[in-house]
Amino acid sequence: MECRVLSIQSHVVRGYVGNKSASFPLQVLGFEVDSINSVQFSNHTGYSHWKGQVLTADELHVLYEGIKLNNVHHYDYVLTGYTRDTSFLEMVVDIVQELKRANPNLVYVCDPVLGDHGSMYVPQNLYPVYKNKVVPVADIITPNQFEAELLTGKNISTEKDAVEVMDLLHAMGPDTVVITSSDLPPRLGDRFLVSLGSQRHVRPDGSRTTERVRIEVPKVDAVFVGTGDLFAAMLLAWTHHYPNDLKTACEKTFSVMHHVIQRTISYAHELAGPGRRPSPPQLELRMVQSKADIEDPAIVTEATLIS
Amino acid sequence: MECRVLSIQSHVVRGYVGNKSATFPLQVLGFEVDSINSVQFSNHTGYDHWKGQVLTAEELKVLYEGIKLNKVNRYDYILTGYSRDTSFLEMVVDIIKELKKANSSLVYVCDPVMGDQGAMYVPENLLPIYKNKVVPLAEILTPNQFEAELLTGRKICTEDDAIKVMDLLHDMGPETVVLTSTDLPSKHGDQFLVALGSQRIRKPDGTITCQKICMDIPKVDAAFVGTGDLFAAMLLAWTYHHPKDLKTACEKTVSAIHHVLKRTITYANEVAGPGNKPSPAQLELRMIQSKADIENPSIVIEAKVL
Repeated sequence: MECRVLSIQSHVVRGYVGNKSASFPLQVLGFEVDSINSVQFSNHTGYSHWKGQVLTADELHVLYEGIKLNNVHHYDYVLTGYTRDTSFLEMVVDIVQELKRANPNLVYVCDPVLGDHGSMYVPQNLYPVYKNKVVPVADIITPNQFEAELLTGKNISTEKDAVEVMDLLHAMGPDTVVITSSDLPPRLGDRFLVSLGSQRHVRPDGSRTTERVRIEVPKVDAVFVGTGDLFAAMLLAWTHHYPNDLKTACEKTFSVMHHVIQRTISYAHELAGPGRRPSPPQLELRMVQSKADIEDPAIVTEATLIS
Repeated sequence: MECRVLSIQSHVVRGYVGNKSATFPLQVLGFEVDSINSVQFSNHTGYDHWKGQVLTAEELKVLYEGIKLNKVNRYDYILTGYSRDTSFLEMVVDIIKELKKANSSLVYVCDPVMGDQGAMYVPENLLPIYKNKVVPLAEILTPNQFEAELLTGRKICTEDDAIKVMDLLHDMGPETVVLTSTDLPSKHGDQFLVALGSQRIRKPDGTITCQKICMDIPKVDAAFVGTGDLFAAMLLAWTYHHPKDLKTACEKTVSAIHHVLKRTITYANEVAGPGNKPSPAQLELRMIQSKADIENPSIVIEAKVL
């Protein structure tokens, strides 16, 4: 397999978020991962303390220039996630557009990180950049419900709303949309949460079809960091292997997430001790220990096709 | 296995040197790798062009402060390699000393990168720092012949010289020394290079024993970059699993590297096409593709106990 990904995300010395969360799983699955670190922090910002340095839009440009000067700016995928800076995000868009000129088949996987549970946790001025510049060049996006509502200006209260929102997102650009989590009532009970996906295909005869799926995933009683980054990376991998089968791609992706999270929460509770709430360091994803699950995830969540 | 490594090395966007070379192999072998990137460059400096930014000693200190404030500055291993800056190297030394106070069993694996084939390719003022401050803290050292000669002030012309130099290096600090390559003539002919290793072990009864080994390694006709970084990382891994058996640790390390290089040169020649010399971009180590060999290297080069 000869597939090269350019991932532009954070680097943390310790732990698994951003590029630390995305690189290892993609590499064990055989992808060549080139990574531009948008920041270098000691650890993620959920710890009591964090320290480090950020990359400016200019410095990002300089790194890309180096790649270009050597004529190695040929990528099959670009992957981006959490960003706090509008000029950085705009530079990313410029780079993606140039890379698409170098390879028109390039697939841009974008996690449009804006917020969750009804509020934004990035500067507000990123919103128009995502809406008007980033999402239009994306091929796969992984918003949560809040981000999907923000980008389309439409609220999701029912599955029908979610389908309409995903169609609106398709119309903005991406052929593949996965709403990674929602408040929709799960059929399996309140220990689950509902995710949905939608993928537009063009049939050989030129006609268009849309595959839509619904997945119910078990909730885990803890705050994990880096899971969204892992999700986007694994969706990249499994849609690569199943480009016309969103159902299977989602089953594999959500199943990997489940295995990593289960292993993590077990270990965290062991470390913390009975009756104690695990700390952020203890809750770091058990990524390295989950290698076998990442390579070949046993399917534990099934996706159902919906219309 | 619960083993945490702090690796302070370069990061390149594309390719496999420094932390890019060390991290994936250690992770597939089950090590938790915390990595501080001393630089971020587009690619290694053997390409026609390279661009990027360097971390200052101050910025390194700030990152370490973050780790310390969260009380997660507990490591089993530290790994360092190529450095160009004296103040950065001195800050690394300070950090290691502190980490050894936090965990007295910490093992510092140091590749004292200074030069090769008779010439230094780092600033000269790094030598006294390596000699007087860095090497004394190291437990495992992976110099090439030139670096070993530079650190001890003694030339290596025979196997006997090599043994004496390794003993001098032991006296400076590290219990494990591997001369990763030498100009010594191999009994197998000029298609082979000679590497040597030496490990001082303190027995339970307090006596000190020393195992010395020698390996004849098939040369590969190309200039690879990042192999030294891979070597140090794999030596870390295999001495972890075989702490009192340098022979086995070296056989696994050298064999793993051999598999990676063979895969790399085959691919590079394929991509370059018949009669063309592969470019630096084409010669990047086939790291990802070598996962199985990294996880479980079949022994293709044996070490001889001297």
